[in-house]
Amino acid sequence: MSLHSVIEAILNRVIDAGAEGDLIVDQGQSLSLKARDGELEEHKVTSNRILGLRVIQNAKVGTAYSEAVDPEAIETLVSQALTNASYAGEEPSERILPNANHLTTDDTLLCPDDESSIEDKIDFALWVEAALKAKPMVKNVPYNGVQSGFGHRSIYSTAGLKADIRYRSMSAYAYALIEDGETNAMEGAGQAARRFSALDREALVSKVYQAGVDILQGKPIPSGRYDVIFDTETQSDLLAVFAMMFSAKSAKDGVNPMRDRLGDAIADPRLSLFDDPGDSQGFGYALFDDEGSLAQQTPLITAGTLQTLIHNSATAAHFGVTTTGHATRGPRSTLGVGLHQLKAQPGPSTEATCTAGRWLEVTDLTGLHSGANPISGEFSFGASGYLREGAQRIQPVRNITVAGNFYSMIKDVRDIGDSLHWNWQRSSCLPMIRFADLSVSG
Amino acid sequence: MIETATAESVIHHGLDLGADFAEVYVEKNLSNLVSTLSDRVQSVESGIDFGIGLRLIFGHKVLYGYTNQTDLDELHRIVTELAAKDLRDPLASAAAFDFSQVDQRHPAKRTLSAADDVDSKIDYLLSANRAAKAASNQISQTRGMCKQREQRVMIFNSEGLFREDTRHYARATLTAIAAEGNEQATGQWGDGGLIGWEIKEQLDPQKTGHEAARQALVNLRAKPCPSGRMPVVIGPGFGGVIFHEACGHLLETTSVAKKASVFHDKMGDMIASEVVSAVDDGTLQNEWGSINIDDEGMDTQRTQLIKDGRLTSFLVDRVGSAQTGYARTGSGRRESYKYAPASRMRNTFIEPGEADFEDMIKSIDHGLYAAQMGGGSVQPGTGEFNFAVTEGYVIEKGQIKYPVKAATLISTGPAVLKEISMVGRDFSLACGMCGSVSGSIPTTVGQATLKVDDILVGGQE
Repeated sequence: MSLHSVIEAILNRVIDAGAEGDLIVDQGQSLSLKARDGELEEHKVTSNRILGLRVIQNAKVGTAYSEAVDPEAIETLVSQALTNASYAGEEPSERILPNANHLTTDDTLLCPDDESSIEDKIDFALWVEAALKAKPMVKNVPYNGVQSGFGHRSIYSTAGLKADIRYRSMSAYAYALIEDGETNAMEGAGQAARRFSALDREALVSKVYQAGVDILQGKPIPSGRYDVIFDTETQSDLLAVFAMMFSAKSAKDGVNPMRDRLGDAIADPRLSLFDDPGDSQGFGYALFDDEGSLAQQTPLITAGTLQTLIHNSATAAHFGVTTTGHATRGPRSTLGVGLHQLKAQPGPSTEATCTAGRWLEVTDLTGLHSGANPISGEFSFGASGYLREGAQRIQPVRNITVAGNFYSMIKDVRDIGDSLHWNWQRSSCLPMIRFADLSVSG
Repeated sequence: MIETATAESVIHHGLDLGADFAEVYVEKNLSNLVSTLSDRVQSVESGIDFGIGLRLIFGHKVLYGYTNQTDLDELHRIVTELAAKDLRDPLASAAAFDFSQVDQRHPAKRTLSAADDVDSKIDYLLSANRAAKAASNQISQTRGMCKQREQRVMIFNSEGLFREDTRHYARATLTAIAAEGNEQATGQWGDGGLIGWEIKEQLDPQKTGHEAARQALVNLRAKPCPSGRMPVVIGPGFGGVIFHEACGHLLETTSVAKKASVFHDKMGDMIASEVVSAVDDGTLQNEWGSINIDDEGMDTQRTQLIKDGRLTSFLVDRVGSAQTGYARTGSGRRESYKYAPASRMRNTFIEPGEADFEDMIKSIDHGLYAAQMGGGSVQPGTGEFNFAVTEGYVIEKGQIKYPVKAATLISTGPAVLKEISMVGRDFSLACGMCGSVSGSIPTTVGQATLKVDDILVGGQE
């Protein structure tokens, strides 16, 4: 039975049951290589396929998924989704959109042909490990890798939607353990691109090594209040932890503290954030969301004022607005919302102005998954970085914590830089932001 | 799930291409998740995961692939592709499969393949919600979750191993949200085990609701936490995450073999205070982190990691054993067929001691009582770790004073193990998920209340 026939059979079975539904089919292949002591330590090749069904019957929603596609598994998939729906509470705002469009993305942009060979990738992995190990004080490179992946998502609905997204990704990363006597440090970095040729092994090695050497002699600083600038990577990570503040799904569920704050000044008036799925430089580039709705630029915070939450069709219907094109759904998950790629308007100050005087540059945060409460905004993370005086790094800093309340922090901004920087995973593009008087323990 | 002849053919093919070792890991996983939002059922989700993981070992080099397809041509194709850069004349020959029955240490009655028990799970979660809401009108919302999973695995290898096992997992949690004005705080309570839904008999919805609500209400009135170095008393159960992060990960041969663990050359050394004895035990009946066999087919065991402060064992999988020379400890684990196995923890805990809780508190002039802990993480190479306090209280002049919020404890493994000065008697275990190179797996942490003499507390004051 071909995959096409399987898909057709599933949707017909849903219609025959008097329900409506949509089906996500994810397929992909990947290659992963890791090096150790001049040889490949791991060589991983994968191929996978998964089907995820959502049905809506009598205003109740049920989901089920399967990685098996034999007739028994397909029957189980549909019957489980229908049974699951029978238990759920009524969700009148969640419907399968009347969307019969056939949508595709541009393969030349998201899924370019890749001429690189497996030998090229093996050579890259071995070279990065060897180049780092050859550097002074590098004890070993315990974590490193080169990965390439191809993915294909298809979305079908009983309303006639057929959407296809194909994408290719290449990435490389390395973490080096650096020792000087009894002192050691481990630092890492990564790169991501759609073409293998865009990965830069020399730059990766240089960045990892320099970060390790620079932080090696780091020590705590006295506890107190410090102005803090998170570097491009940590700032992106931090905002991702609290991205729930923009979620209409969380607002509908009663857990988003911003649910009643539309139109309120919630941040410094110089801060403007927006979601920009149309920027093809980012890896969150998208023409449509997982319901097939148009992905569009969406202002989130403009001049410090909360403009909108991000919606799928169900949250939009619940709140009496239109979808913002931020529906997310995977084969294993229910309908949610998510940002495509977060951007900010440049701030008013030069980066030299932002960095005047004494401040703490944070280059690493630990405990992001456990040390934050997006509902209350409270956070406390392990951190490392540099105590700085203007542009000068005057002391590497390790074994400290940085704590605060995120929702207070974005109101208490000292300055915002006028340049934008993509993080390495190209999921956000933000300016330097100097946050005032965060609590640091050392 | 697959015919033994298929597994045999794949393994022969791998050895024919020159591999020293070949393994076929087949998995079918049924899952069911019931979620509630206060007094309504938010969703019921279910699914089937199925796939085959293929591992070839050439010397110390691991080649790994997986697929959802069972046809022999596809399995041979993956093996051929994996071995393409390492082809050599055959060195090893495959032994005939010798099926070995698994000793079922962890009985399960209400299994997912027999019935999904959705009504019972909904009843439990809604009862817990009512208990939480009854605790205070400041409880604005609850989120409940019951997850059940049935994982069936078949493991074949070129040494003739053939084992089958079925693991039944069940877990339930309730998160309560307390609100007052613009302030919100959360509390969570739950339990789980390597067991069927009969775990419901051990789960009291009243206790679950009350405890989640109690924590949320405490956190709602909590003050900012003081910062700086100070003594900390860490509560039992999930407080054991301190050992998990500070030491457990550093004893996995995944890090030890690469010399990426600060303990890689410390076998037999005193690495902890002499009040610390620690164990990783997969045999505890029906505990969340228990197993019958590991994901390489080896019987599970109880492994004494530290005895009276001295390092006595690492956690060793097949590859780690080959690389370090230490005997395997049945610690090869993986999230699913999508991962090659790696040395991982099971039920990992500090054994109980003799100290009294009151004596620990009385011994502190200014410090913190971390009654409940959240998750954490560690960098094995340096031993630097962090973990979150989710319910904490300031200790002043030998007495517990007021609750504080949002604190993180950071230190290094070698430092904190030597700062543990008192271990109490009130031992308990708690379940969690542990993420590492072979994915996210169920693990249990545990301890009695213990005192750390000096650790950095990161608060807001």
